[in-house]
Amino acid sequence: MTVTAAGHPTVTPVPFDPEVQVVLDAIAQNPQPPLTRETLPREGTDTMFPDNDTVIAGRAIDWEDRIIPGPAGAPDIEVTIFRPRDADRPVLPAFLNIHGGGQIVGHRTWETGRVVDIVAEHGVVAVNVEYRLAPEHPSPAGLEDCYAALLWLHAHAEELGVDPARIIVGGGSAGGCLAAGVALLARDRRGPVLAGQLLLCPMLDNTNTTPSSLQYDGIGTWQRDMNLLSWSCLLGEELAFSPQASGYAAPTHAEDVSGLAPAFIEVGAAEMFRDEDTRYALRIWATGGQAELHVWGGGAHGFDMYMPEAEISRAALAARASWLRRIWSRA
Amino acid sequence: MTAVPAGTGSLNPVPYDPELVDGLAAFLDLVEIIPLRADTILANRAHFATIIPPMQAQAEGRAIVWEDRVIPGPAGAPDVEVTIVRPAAPRPGPAPAVLSIHGGGMVLGTRFFATGELIDLAERHGVVGVSVEYRLAPEHPGPAQAEDCYAALLWMAEHAEELGIDPHRIIASGQSAGGGLSAAVALLARDRNGPRLAGQLLGCPMLDDNNDTASARQYDGIGAWDRNNNDTAWTAIAGEDRFTDRVSPYTAPARARDLSGLPPAYVEVGAAETLRDEAVAYASRIWATGGQAELHVWDGGYHGFHGFSPGAIVSVAANAARESWLRRVLRLGG
Repeated sequence: MTVTAAGHPTVTPVPFDPEVQVVLDAIAQNPQPPLTRETLPREGTDTMFPDNDTVIAGRAIDWEDRIIPGPAGAPDIEVTIFRPRDADRPVLPAFLNIHGGGQIVGHRTWETGRVVDIVAEHGVVAVNVEYRLAPEHPSPAGLEDCYAALLWLHAHAEELGVDPARIIVGGGSAGGCLAAGVALLARDRRGPVLAGQLLLCPMLDNTNTTPSSLQYDGIGTWQRDMNLLSWSCLLGEELAFSPQASGYAAPTHAEDVSGLAPAFIEVGAAEMFRDEDTRYALRIWATGGQAELHVWGGGAHGFDMYMPEAEISRAALAARASWLRRIWSRA
Repeated sequence: MTAVPAGTGSLNPVPYDPELVDGLAAFLDLVEIIPLRADTILANRAHFATIIPPMQAQAEGRAIVWEDRVIPGPAGAPDVEVTIVRPAAPRPGPAPAVLSIHGGGMVLGTRFFATGELIDLAERHGVVGVSVEYRLAPEHPGPAQAEDCYAALLWMAEHAEELGIDPHRIIASGQSAGGGLSAAVALLARDRNGPRLAGQLLGCPMLDDNNDTASARQYDGIGAWDRNNNDTAWTAIAGEDRFTDRVSPYTAPARARDLSGLPPAYVEVGAAETLRDEAVAYASRIWATGGQAELHVWDGGYHGFHGFSPGAIVSVAANAARESWLRRVLRLGG
C-alpha cells in the first residue's frame, strides 16, 4: 500500500448527521491542500489557538508550565498543569491529556479548551503533555514521552495535591492511541495503576483495512490519506501498514488486552476509526475487562470539536462526563 | 466481523457497575425468581402476571388517556389486541408515534410490560404509542411474533389520520425480545415495501439464536437473562430449526443476509450481559452497508439495568442518550 492523495469511498459510507453535514459543507468551502511529509506545520503551532487565560475566561482555575524529565536518554518534556483554585478536597483526581493530530501535527495548546472544561466540570488537576512528533521522532518516542509524564504525575502526586489512585489518561484521535498505549505500558511495566483510559475517536489500527477505513476515503474530517500518512511517518515504510507493528504503537495488535484500566471508547459512526474502536472494545470485554463504548450516529471524526453545539455533541459530552464521574467517584 | 474475537476465549465476565449490584439482586429476586427452562415457561408466565401492574394502575395520575383495541392480525391469523396510549392534551399537528413491543423472551409477558415507556413518552413529548399483544412461543413458533407486530405497524400507518399521528415519524421500539422484534419489524417493512419507519430502537435486543458469543459464554449461569434463560427461549421459538438457516431472519434478525436499507437504529446494551456481542455485531453489520446505527454499550450494565436501577449514574446517562436519539429521529425539538 502506498500513500495516495485523497480518494473516494470504496464502500458506501454511513451518512453524516445533518447538523454535522452543515459544518462539513462549510469546511469544504475553504479547501486546503493535503498535508504531506514536507508540509507538516511546525513553526508557530503553539500560538495558533487562544492562550490559557483567554480559554479559562475568568473561571477559578490556575495554570503553570513546567519542564519535567523525559524518558531515559531523551530530552525534557514541557507540560501545562491546570488546577481548580478553591478545591473542596485535600487531594484531587487527575487527568493526563494527550493531544491529537495523527502524532504528526498539533500542540498541547490546541486542546486547552477540552482540558480546562474537564477541570472546571469535575474539579480535578489536569496535566497537558507536549510529546515528540513523527516523522522527526518515530514511534515509540511520543508514547515514551507520554508515559514519562504519567510517571512524573504519579511520583509528584503529593506535591501536586493529586490522589495517585485516581489518575485517568485520555486523549482524542492520536491522543487516544497514545492513551491506550500508556495504559498498556503501565500494565506491562508494573507502573502506576490507572483509574481509567478515556479514548476519544482513537486511532488504534495501522492496517487500514476495516470497512470504516474504506468508507471515509476522501470524505469527512480525518480522511484515509491523512491516516496513511500518519502511520507511515510513525512506523516507517516497512511497518507502516503491517500487522507486525508493535501493539504499543497500534493497540489493536496488542496480543493481550486483559488487566487494563477501565476504558471509555467514543467514536462517530461516520468516520474511519469506527470499526477499529469497536473491535478494541470487543476484545477488552472478551477478557472480562471494563469498557464503555459509544458510537454516535452520523458523527464525523472529532465531531464534538468541530460542531460542539450539535445535538450529538451535547449528548456525547454528557455521556463522557457521566463516565468520568463514575470512575472518579469510585476509586 | 465475527462476534467472537479470535484468540480471546476467556470466560471471565465483565464486572458489574458497583451502583447496579443491588438493583441486579432485586431484579433476580423479583423478575427471575424461577429459572426459565422448558418446563417452567408456564410458571414464569403466571409469575409475570403478578408483577406487571394492570393498565388502570399504570395510568393512575398520569397525563394520558388509553384504550384497548382489536385490530386485524396477519393474513390467516387471529386478530391482535393493542393498547393505545395518547397524551391527555394532544399537541398541535400530527404526533410522533411509537410501536412498543414488550420483552419476555418471546415466551412471556404481555403488552402491559411495555406501556410504561409509552406513558412517559406521551407525557413528555406528546407521543402516541401502541403496545402490541403478540402471540408467544412455543405455542406459536417464530416468526408469528414478528408477523403480529408487523400487522400492528401496518394498522398504525393505515390509521395514521384517525390516530392523529405523522406516518413519517413512526418508530418500532422494545427491550430484549422486544428489541429483537423491533429489528424484525424493520426488516419486514423493508422487504415488503411497507411503511417507512423513522427508526428502530433496539434495547438489549435478542437477535441471534446461536447464543454462542463471548458474552453469552461469560454470562452462563450468572446475571439477568443469562445464557440458559436465553437458550430456553430460543429453543421454544425456533424449535428443531434452531441453529440452522431454516430459522427466519424475522425470528432471529442476526440471520438476515442483508442489513442495508434499514431505518436508523439505536442499539443499546450493557457491557455485562449475555446479549452484548450480538448487539455490537448487528450494529457493525449495519454500518458496513452504509446504514445508520448508533451504538451504546454501558460499562457494567446488566440486562435491562436502566429500567430497574434508574437512579444509578450509568442509568441516568443511558436514559439521556436514548432521549437524545429520540429527539433526533422523531424531531421532538427542545
